[in-house]
Amino acid sequence: MTLFLDRLYRAAAIIAASCIGAICLLISAQVVLNAATRAGLPLPATIPSYADFSGFLLAAATFLALPWTLRTGGHVRVSLVTRMLPRRTAFVVELAVLVLGASFAGYATYYAALLAYESHAFGDLSRGIVPVPLWVPQVFMVAGLALLTVALLHSFAQTWAARAPVLGGGEEA
Amino acid sequence: QSWDMPTPYGDATFHTQNVSQFAEDLRTATEGGLDITVHSAGSLFPHGEIKNAVRSGQVQIGEFLLSQISNEDAAYGLDSQPFLATSYEEARSLWDAQKPVISELLAEEGLMPLFSVPWPAQGLYTNGEIEAASDLEGLRFRAYNAQLEEFAALTGAAPVQVEAPDIPQAFATGQVEAMMTSPSTGANSSAWDFVTHYGQVDAWLPKNIIVVNERAFRRLPEETQQAIMEAAEAAEARGWEMSMEETEAKTVELEQNGMTIYAPSDQLREDLQAIGEDMLETLEASASDEAKAILSDYRE
Amino acid sequence: MDLVLIGLVLLVLLFACLAAGIWVAMALGGVALMALLLFSNAPAGLVLATTFWGHSHSWSLTALPLFILMGEILLRSRLSRDMFSGLAPWLGRLPGRLLHVNVLGCAIFAAVSGSSAATAATIGRMSVPELEGRGYPQSLVIGTLAGSATLGLLIPPSIILIVYGVATEQSIARLFVAGLLPGLMLVGLFSAYVAARSWLNPDLIPARGERLPYLARLKASRSLIPVALLIGGVIGSIYTGLASPTDAAALGVVLATILAFATGGFSWRLLGEAMMAATRTSAMIAFILLGAAFLAVAMGFTGIPRGLAAQIGAMGLSPYALLAVLTLFFIVLGCFLDGISVVVLTTSIILPMVEAVGIDPLWFGIYLVIVVEMSQITPPVGFNLFVIQGLTGLNILRIARAAFPFFLLLLVGVALITVFPGIVTILPNAMG
Ligand code: NA
Ligand code: NA
Repeated sequence: MTLFLDRLYRAAAIIAASCIGAICLLISAQVVLNAATRAGLPLPATIPSYADFSGFLLAAATFLALPWTLRTGGHVRVSLVTRMLPRRTAFVVELAVLVLGASFAGYATYYAALLAYESHAFGDLSRGIVPVPLWVPQVFMVAGLALLTVALLHSFAQTWAARAPVLGGGEEA
Repeated sequence: QSWDMPTPYGDATFHTQNVSQFAEDLRTATEGGLDITVHSAGSLFPHGEIKNAVRSGQVQIGEFLLSQISNEDAAYGLDSQPFLATSYEEARSLWDAQKPVISELLAEEGLMPLFSVPWPAQGLYTNGEIEAASDLEGLRFRAYNAQLEEFAALTGAAPVQVEAPDIPQAFATGQVEAMMTSPSTGANSSAWDFVTHYGQVDAWLPKNIIVVNERAFRRLPEETQQAIMEAAEAAEARGWEMSMEETEAKTVELEQNGMTIYAPSDQLREDLQAIGEDMLETLEASASDEAKAILSDYRE
Repeated sequence: MDLVLIGLVLLVLLFACLAAGIWVAMALGGVALMALLLFSNAPAGLVLATTFWGHSHSWSLTALPLFILMGEILLRSRLSRDMFSGLAPWLGRLPGRLLHVNVLGCAIFAAVSGSSAATAATIGRMSVPELEGRGYPQSLVIGTLAGSATLGLLIPPSIILIVYGVATEQSIARLFVAGLLPGLMLVGLFSAYVAARSWLNPDLIPARGERLPYLARLKASRSLIPVALLIGGVIGSIYTGLASPTDAAALGVVLATILAFATGGFSWRLLGEAMMAATRTSAMIAFILLGAAFLAVAMGFTGIPRGLAAQIGAMGLSPYALLAVLTLFFIVLGCFLDGISVVVLTTSIILPMVEAVGIDPLWFGIYLVIVVEMSQITPPVGFNLFVIQGLTGLNILRIARAAFPFFLLLLVGVALITVFPGIVTILPNAMG
């Protein structure tokens, strides 16, 4: 199960990285077109709504990368105080932190899903030259937040089993 | 009752001033019974999220640019159709034709329009005078929606997508060479820093609209609802006046800061009118029934 | 309930969350959630979703992961090492030597990027390992980085000046020009501080290498050419109008990749690693930005910053007293909110009172940016501190302590532009 979940976090992060790569290519292509137009080459002047698409890709990249970033200790947190706590207390505090984190992430997931559902129900479209149904990019936000919730619960289970914190992300000792 | 009202534009914009006055009027009329806090300059929600925030009841009332949602139905975007309605009288008749139709459309989303106020007519910002549409050929022209992209294509200009915050830099570096916007926006963003000429081509008068969440509205006592409708009517009348004064004042401001203001030549006027008619034909070919209904009503 | 009291309750809550070790982004978001649930009538969950969505797909944020990716590529190629060895012989005699690379590197990068977090992440990615490897003291390395990266906000282009310009209808072009001299002034202050520290305490800085004759130095400088091409290409694309600042970030990545391959030692595997690392860092920063945005919206609903600002307005102060009180207010607010939120939440109240006492709104914009720069390096919520924690794994108080002298230098900068407002206004006035 752990293996499967860890692969899932990583797969989501790889999709996120591809999104960032895609932003790079998309914008660079537009810059090339700018240069080509100046030079008088018979190419189309713009990639329609490239700014909108970059933004949607960025949102997908951010949310999809959240769980893997959490699991690899990439999200910053303050461990100044918890480090000084006795082992047993630190363990309990870590459990509480994971529960609170999972509740926040779960809460955010629920409402993000509601937002995407509403966008779908009302047929909301993006405002640029190319109309994009907004629920499509919003689904990636929901997926990322949902997987973050799973990652937090997963870490809770592992912490419980190990009787000690398993996640990094604090500072060095 | 206290309500929150997100608006996209800053405090110096006449739209925001009008809306603040509207909130003040309501505080007085209801003796503090309804207290609307105006959150200007997109400080609560980004412009693109305001409509949906009102729809889902996160805020009770909000303001946004009506044509911003034209992708959802062409009926919303008619006030931004180039050269369809080019004076305050025409804008007024267009709004009269638009209002019942978009009220119905917005009602499907639980929204109720209160009032709508136009921006001054859109003019042409360039370096040097444009005497005929052919002068635009090859110029890098700022296009931020499908209509402007089509307009640019018809004049032979090269459409460039520049996001609003990048405009000054885009002009300074030659990324764009021409844009269409109101004298308000031009003066407020100090257009004289980057262009020399302003052509009063009066291309269209886009409107801001103030909508209220219908459920929130129905929950209010009868007399408060009445007070809102009265204040809205007053705000609409005041807003249109302010917009006309704004056109004068801001054009003078452009001139005082060294820009050359010119009326379009007959040639340019004809060219633009012809382009406008072309674009309208394209629009009608694919427009929703609602949009067509507005057009036929407007033409009568 | 009294606004001050509500503010204090939320502060205690924030401290408790952070101390317990809740991730910063979720601590900010959680406190915002509590603020909405307890002290407003807004439907908290919907507001959370709207804010997360609305702020996650913004165009101006797009440059952030791209610049971070550029830094990760440079780090893994020969380019960043070459840059330091090319500069080393030239900076040999200057007290502080290569530490000035941090200051100047940030200043140059600030001319490309509008954000302080991107500046810290990109320059720090290269300079921290390189400088520490050469034996420079950690506190000065991260201090100069934390401090100088804040220049990203002041030296144009600048996201925060755009936000201020749009909100107050000041000319963005004039604001950008106005930021130039104060930006250079701060570069001077930071460099002077580094030089003074090293001059007073020569043991602090590792011994210089052998002194090279002029020709040999020139020869060593050949290794600077690829980096110079990169910087030239990125800045050039902006100033010739081929690319907007965000576009330029993408161009930077492409150029960095090409140069990394061309100079050798780079591979597709390293490119993949760089992309994953950049994805991770940018997700971390973006998540904190989203948490901070949600907190700012919650503050908008509860009306705390607005209320406090109005209370300052009611005091009827003289210009200098008003500025002193505002500086204190912004420093305190800046400890807990991110800089852009502070500007957005308070300008509608503060700008009228500032104009009422005769302060130039253009000058005030620059003043505000410097004050906001300070907020980037004050704990517990300081973006540069988080970015550097992400880079080095050091604890936040330690980074904040290293950055503290630079906080004071920024304060000196504020004092200087207050006493000599010409530093800000002379260039824009020359524009006519
Ligand atoms: Na900058
Ligand atoms: Na801070």
